[in-house]
Amino acid sequence: MTTLTIDGQQQSFTPGETIYEIAERAHADIPTLCYDPRLKAFGACRLCVVEVEGVRNPVASCTAKATDGMVVRTATPTIDKHRKTLLELVASENREVDVDPLRGYASQELAMLVDRYDARTGRFRGKASGKSQETDQNPFILRDYDLCISCYRCVRVCAEQEGDHAISVRNRGFETQITVEFDGDLKSGTCTFCGQCVQTCPTGALADRKAIRATELPGPIEKARTVCPYCGVGCSVDLQAKGGKLVGVLPAMDGPANEGALCIKGQFAFDFVQHPDRLASPLVRREDGELHPASWDEALDRAAGGFMKARDMHGRHSVYAVASGRAPHEAAYAVQKFIRVGFMTNQVDNCSRA
Amino acid sequence: MTSPRTQELIEHWRDQPAPLLSLLHALHDRDGFLSDGVLREVARGLRAPLADLYGTVTFYHHFARFPPGKSAPRVCTGPVCRLRGADALLDELRKDGATPMACSGRCDEPIPVLTGDEVHVGVDSASLVNRPTPLPAVRPDGGEECVFGGIRDAGRAKLAGYGGWAALERAVREQSSEQVIATITDSGLAGRGGACFLTGTKWNAVLEAPGEPKTIVCNADEGEPGCFKDRVLLDHDPHAVLEGMALAAYATGATQGFVYLRYEYPQTMPILEAAIAEAEAVGLLGERILGSDFSFRIHVRRGAGAYICGEEGSLLNSLEGKHPFPRNRPPFPVTHGYNDKPTVVNNVETLASAPPIVRNGAEWYRGLGLGDHAGTKLISLSGDIARPGNYEVPIGLPLRTLLDDWAGGAPGGKAIKAVTMAGLSGGFLAGDDFAVTLDEPSIRARGSFLGAGGIIVYDETRDMVVAAHDVMKFFAHESCGKCFPCRIGTQRLTERLAGEAGPASLADWQSEVVDIGTTMKATSACGLGMAAPLVTESLLRCFPEEVEKHLGA
Amino acid sequence: MSNPLADMEKPQTIFCIGTNMTECHPVAATRLKKAVANGARMIVADPRRIGLCDHADLYLPIRVGSDVALLLGMAHVIARDGLVNEAFVRERTTQVEEFFEHIKGFPPEWAAEITGVPAADIEKAARWYGEVERGAIYYTLGITEHICGVDNVQSLCNLALMTGHIGREGTGINPMRGQNNIQGAGDCGALPNNFPGFQSVIDPAVQAKFEKLWGVKVDLEKGCTKVAALDRCGDEIKAMLICGENTVVSDPNLAHCRKALERLDHLVVADIFLTETAAMADVVLPATSWGETDGVNTNTERRVQRLRAAVPPVGEAKPDWWLLSELAKRCGLRGFEWQSAKDVFNELCEVSPLYHGLDWDRIDTGEYHWPCPDKDHPGEPRLHSEGFINGRGVFKLLDYRDPAETVSDEFPVWLTTGRRLPAYHTHTQTGRSAGIDYLLSEETLEVHPDDVADWGLSDGEWCTMSSARGSIRIKVQANSCSPRGTVFASFSFADTPVNILTGGGYDPATDTAELKVCPVRIEASFRA
Repeated sequence: MTTLTIDGQQQSFTPGETIYEIAERAHADIPTLCYDPRLKAFGACRLCVVEVEGVRNPVASCTAKATDGMVVRTATPTIDKHRKTLLELVASENREVDVDPLRGYASQELAMLVDRYDARTGRFRGKASGKSQETDQNPFILRDYDLCISCYRCVRVCAEQEGDHAISVRNRGFETQITVEFDGDLKSGTCTFCGQCVQTCPTGALADRKAIRATELPGPIEKARTVCPYCGVGCSVDLQAKGGKLVGVLPAMDGPANEGALCIKGQFAFDFVQHPDRLASPLVRREDGELHPASWDEALDRAAGGFMKARDMHGRHSVYAVASGRAPHEAAYAVQKFIRVGFMTNQVDNCSRA
Repeated sequence: MTSPRTQELIEHWRDQPAPLLSLLHALHDRDGFLSDGVLREVARGLRAPLADLYGTVTFYHHFARFPPGKSAPRVCTGPVCRLRGADALLDELRKDGATPMACSGRCDEPIPVLTGDEVHVGVDSASLVNRPTPLPAVRPDGGEECVFGGIRDAGRAKLAGYGGWAALERAVREQSSEQVIATITDSGLAGRGGACFLTGTKWNAVLEAPGEPKTIVCNADEGEPGCFKDRVLLDHDPHAVLEGMALAAYATGATQGFVYLRYEYPQTMPILEAAIAEAEAVGLLGERILGSDFSFRIHVRRGAGAYICGEEGSLLNSLEGKHPFPRNRPPFPVTHGYNDKPTVVNNVETLASAPPIVRNGAEWYRGLGLGDHAGTKLISLSGDIARPGNYEVPIGLPLRTLLDDWAGGAPGGKAIKAVTMAGLSGGFLAGDDFAVTLDEPSIRARGSFLGAGGIIVYDETRDMVVAAHDVMKFFAHESCGKCFPCRIGTQRLTERLAGEAGPASLADWQSEVVDIGTTMKATSACGLGMAAPLVTESLLRCFPEEVEKHLGA
Repeated sequence: MSNPLADMEKPQTIFCIGTNMTECHPVAATRLKKAVANGARMIVADPRRIGLCDHADLYLPIRVGSDVALLLGMAHVIARDGLVNEAFVRERTTQVEEFFEHIKGFPPEWAAEITGVPAADIEKAARWYGEVERGAIYYTLGITEHICGVDNVQSLCNLALMTGHIGREGTGINPMRGQNNIQGAGDCGALPNNFPGFQSVIDPAVQAKFEKLWGVKVDLEKGCTKVAALDRCGDEIKAMLICGENTVVSDPNLAHCRKALERLDHLVVADIFLTETAAMADVVLPATSWGETDGVNTNTERRVQRLRAAVPPVGEAKPDWWLLSELAKRCGLRGFEWQSAKDVFNELCEVSPLYHGLDWDRIDTGEYHWPCPDKDHPGEPRLHSEGFINGRGVFKLLDYRDPAETVSDEFPVWLTTGRRLPAYHTHTQTGRSAGIDYLLSEETLEVHPDDVADWGLSDGEWCTMSSARGSIRIKVQANSCSPRGTVFASFSFADTPVNILTGGGYDPATDTAELKVCPVRIEASFRA
């Protein structure tokens, strides 16, 4: 069995695992900014450096494979000082580190690390990096690159997870700029507005433009885990609500069908739920031939009465029901039971044939 | 003559190994720049994502996206050229659309100006001439050389003048792979690009690594400012380099090779191609070399202006058409190199050393060094020095012997105030440091390193803060942007050396600069970010009073 | 799907046919893209050069409705070239000799004639699929929405049986279900032939079981399909309950559909919007929406997952199960005294063998794929690993049939319909979500640029498109996605009701409409 020692604790591991992966299992809580467990380790932010006995320089734990007998220390004063310096450097290139959590799933990562390492010192002031793409008026993704720290998570998630390769990087060094081909709008390239770049961004530089419409709404953000209402893939999502208003969707990183992925519909097409067109009360057709608001009692009596009348006048097979492939099981089950029990007929179907 | 259509060029290159750079160059040569439409066609033709292709093109300094592009002059404003008035020459040529370029590897000559595929050198626009790379001076002490052993023979660039590939012939006819590797290992030859990894060990690792095809890459992306030794080898003794590659291939079982040539050496491209054609014509390269089962082909690929492509991971990514970021290591190229297959990446000088070693034996080579040191090292000497140029020194030669006895000291009888090491990457040596001998242990003891062997000399009149700023600006310009400490650190250090940002008091200034430097050295992902702070470190160590003076100003 | 979504990253050869996955199941498509990036080969067969083709190694541009011919040609090559998995065929299948004799008559050259795909490419596809250890098939409505939809599916099954690409990781026959709970609606017994859990309504044992469970007599005969029901509206059928379906926009042959509903005595619609269909009802019941509803969905890989409400219902909207229980009570029925979605779901688990091992609490994190017959069962992400439900896999002897309608002098162009990424179905939800119109604001007819020129149309201008059933006006969009002679539109916009044109035929076995093939005539139209 292969083992290594992390912060004095023996840990067994499977050859091929990185130090970071093992440390995470051991709850060592190594800080990172460029890491996303779904992506190939990249080694850009260097916050995950650890001390490995017998190795002169600190080692980036996200890319370094563990070897048998390795002795690792994840948080020595030297290592923590490097982390603080790195975070001070990162903070120095950005407009701000504190952003609205509605910007995206990972948007608080930088602010949390800056606090954890006491890096709000204002040291290393200088030129800012990244230039926001203010001309891109797409309604979904805010490209606020003044907050970009060039961690490449957006580039990588688009290529490795989404497979769209819509995002790339222009220039190099401090002039590095996240962009798309020819620096155009997202719409001009291969972007499908799936929002994965938004959700992996650790600073809110890429932000959910629909969610941040609710920034000024009072109250905490409440979340509920559910499943996307569109196609049959069944992506898990966390709905975000503020004071009873549905304000946005987050992909569930542990969603078994989607593992953090969504598409434009699941990510952004949610506000039909509280659209003014929603039916707010039952309607019945009155003598004038028009539909009018009615009480539930009236509507249900009328509806039930119509079915019983048809059965009584034309027999049990004269009543038919169509269940929805969009509503949950309970609806479909109730519909078919209503028909079968109520009318002794199998005149029921769902909308799968067209 | 009508120029080839984009589609024809795509079809020509698509099935060649490492097609992207060559295809882009073909289009860039044709149009002078790479238009949106051309990039769209290339992306479609190579089935590469357009966004990635666009980003990668913008990474390279010499790919123009708009006219006048390639035809506009580019003036070297490297640290040595700035000592010689490059800024004035640039200003003079601005009317022709001139732009600056980083050190272009001609620090022993007047200021180079690259226009299209021609390099002219001169100190002002009137004096610009196109001329061949100067030959190295004869070794002043008359000692025996290895790589420069035959370079001064006229016609050495021709196979006929070279006298055949005796080392390869001997290896193929008489020796096994293991025997060749044993000779190289015993000679003590170590990577002459600066990493000093034992060449025999590297070759052996590739020999033993599973996976095919194996590849030999000659790293001719000589981008380190103050280094110009590889250029003289390639221009005057290309066969030695090619033969070295063939020996490496024979020793490791490789079947393909690339010379990755820096963009700023346009005159070298035809020389290399002619030498390859000559060798192929007589069966020294290609299928069944010298009638044996050994086959090996060499392709030349041009870089496009990126210092980082001299880093082997970046170079391999560049060859593969990927964004030229360095790779995380391990795995190393010996097991996961070009296309993730076993690959030798050796510097030009290392490869050129191999044929004389195989010809003359390991003992002969070891004996060329001084004391316990094995072999020789090429040093590119430039700056404030009477006789700049390339010198093949026995390893262990005292620095002062090279500076004063071989190269005549600073011109005009001035004192030498400082020298750089490893081109720029080793930072400055000054004062007591001049007691070093030219070998890694001696120089590393001073917190620096010999590296690729470039030494830039600064005389007593030079402002070392300005010099340090020039150096750091270069590193900031060439930082690839992947890892945080280098991307932000080189920028912040440059700003502080320029006095554009940062604290005004020496103590605070020093604290910021030291903290940045310490973290860069410890955590950067590749040598660029690790080495860059040596500049500020040595500046603060050797010239604290100059720093204080600048802060006060 | 026979295999879980995670398996989509594992095949060596991926065969996608009739599935525009990057637009209709984008998250599933990401898995295929990953597989390709990791070295898998992908074959895409589709009349249009869809987004998946950008990731494919081989694209087979088949003529609409010619799938059976392509698949017969591939089967022929697999047999001819010795790529049959003999052990699998011997141990797991039946009607073997007849099948292999049958497919001798369908060489790739024959298939090439019908499909328009070069014979060499058909051979290549067959070999790529046949020669690997792990080959997987993915399809969607491009396979099923034909008069020969069942034949298409069975042709795919034949390929999987020949090669043994079923029951193992990275293989399978994998239909991508189009709606979030279309699988669940069937699971729950909203079918004229099955009780919950696909238990046949004509099986006496099942009948007895439900009579006991529900305490009532049950019908001993199958009901009719919705398609048949629409034909019988006003005749045999007088009253209809439609829950959450915009029938008069989504269904083929809209004029017929609308007339059918008009002939009813009594129409009740439960929905979240006053859809075109709801507007025809006598009673409209406001249902709670996704986001307001607790419940359960089953996805395309048979994974049973919980839905949770995040916000209170709009107005007086109520969950479907509640309004059905109220209707039932008013009809004097017992057995509808549910207090919560949990009660309903747990009752379903009780009556369905496929869900018997599940309950509301057990599916909290969504780890189970049905079938899950008892509490100790881990669920079955991958079907058919040991055997087939009916014993052996039966090879089906199939022949190619032309679509119900084929192009003629009067209707010389093939229309095929489908979906687009930003819009879902009839756009009632996506169309009411801010921003979607930035990407898609109106319906257009995708026409090959050369056809645009030849037919005297102009890009961005109006044309009139007519079929045997009617005609509509639609804007032309020059786009080389569609091949020459074939045009494409979706039915997402009620103001461009493409389904007025469709509905020339139905699969005789399933009553699924041939929405993918409809000969039309296209004329420039200058009226604004």
